[in-house]
Amino acid sequence: MNTTPSNNEASLPIIDCDIHQPELTREQWVAYLPEPYKSEVAHYGTRSIRSGIRTEDGGLRRDLLGEIDGLRLRDPEFYSRNLFDRYNIRYGILSGGAGPTAGIPDPDYTAAIAQAMNNYYLENWLPRDERFLLTIHITQADPALAVREIERLAGTPRVVAVSFHATANRIPFGNRYYWPIYEACEKHGLPLHIHPSTTATIANAAMTPAGQCPTYLESHVCMPQFYMAQVASFVFGGVFEKFPGLRVMLVEGGISWLPHLLWRMDAEFKGLRHQAPFLKRMPSEYVLEQVRLASQPVEEPQKPEHLLQIFEMMDAHNLLMYASDFPHWDFDEPAKLPRALKPETRRRILHDNACELLKLPAYQPQEPQAV
Amino acid sequence: MAWQAVVAADKVTPGKPVIVEAGKKQIGILLHEGRHYAVLNFCPHAGAPVCEGEIENPVYAEGVGEEAGRREGAPVLRCPWHHWEFDLQTGKGLCVKQKIRTYPVEVRDGQVWIDV
Repeated sequence: MNTTPSNNEASLPIIDCDIHQPELTREQWVAYLPEPYKSEVAHYGTRSIRSGIRTEDGGLRRDLLGEIDGLRLRDPEFYSRNLFDRYNIRYGILSGGAGPTAGIPDPDYTAAIAQAMNNYYLENWLPRDERFLLTIHITQADPALAVREIERLAGTPRVVAVSFHATANRIPFGNRYYWPIYEACEKHGLPLHIHPSTTATIANAAMTPAGQCPTYLESHVCMPQFYMAQVASFVFGGVFEKFPGLRVMLVEGGISWLPHLLWRMDAEFKGLRHQAPFLKRMPSEYVLEQVRLASQPVEEPQKPEHLLQIFEMMDAHNLLMYASDFPHWDFDEPAKLPRALKPETRRRILHDNACELLKLPAYQPQEPQAV
Repeated sequence: MAWQAVVAADKVTPGKPVIVEAGKKQIGILLHEGRHYAVLNFCPHAGAPVCEGEIENPVYAEGVGEEAGRREGAPVLRCPWHHWEFDLQTGKGLCVKQKIRTYPVEVRDGQVWIDV
């Protein structure tokens, strides 16, 4: 692998909001699961939902294909050297993978799987590098069990967020079914880390409102539609009004759709206020205060200045946070951000917005940072 | 501003606004729950004939999942084109910064007078 740093922000601290450590092996699952799932997984492996869509290269960068079996990606040291050291990453959020739980309807199984994942990464990854942060997984099939896991791990050092699968829920996120989870997240200051579930996983009827996509290409392109629907659901379900302290991170769902959604929500609300009469503010105001977006994958318009216009429309200076999506095939180096960004905005996107959201220590150059 | 009689009061019925001309303005005279209102027939949003909209008591909710209903005593005029809500008495938009123009109204000897 090329060891020459390719970003030009060597002096800027960076927080990476989306890194994917590998899923547990069967042996690791068995070691961390309680019965009856221990013996189930030992015999059958973990449960999963598949749609017949082939995820590009299994989701990995081509230069890292085979590295899970070759063990490099299973070693946290690989991330330390090839991501953190290489790009001056101060902290990185381990997002894990949604595959073990996304869309699986058994609440007790998914609660046990989520707990096993969380315990495994807490014990085997976080101690290996103090720059690792963790978003914990929960079952989305039983809010009470989800809250139990949040309460168990809230306050654990370097546990910074709660994972939510963007694309594998039958119930939109604005529904009151989720309120106990949001209450717990707000109480403990843990933002939701909303990330696509495995793209080939379908728990809904289809990957898009138009129907089921036949290819990963098509479904991946349409991924923002989930995020648009979920943000509208959050707003018009009154979640942000009910839980003013709740924060939501939208990860890997694209960026440029946000201004359109803000405009459309506000325009429609002006005439249809009576259908969400509990809102005390305009829809866009809730989003600008309580929602943050991770940058990857950064859009690539033919005219780079168009992206900067989008950034201005969506207040990227305050809302946007850098994410790499390492080691996935469409990962972004920090240098992927537009070159013409103002220095202060670049710093906020690379570091400060995430630092504030996650309540991390302020950056002190040349000093060790303990969390 | 000057008071002028614009229409016989018995010509204005609930749900059927009467559009009168005062100078170059078209002004709607509306009757709701026994009270007359005078509104410039022009929505500040996109120029719709706002007086042709519905008058209703606005929906309210104390909070998400809390007490809700229709608030009495402060009716709104909903623009017929995009349904924006304006307080019929003050002209203020319920969730927009724009306002509709309203005028003082009196009924004197069976005539509706407005102060334009």
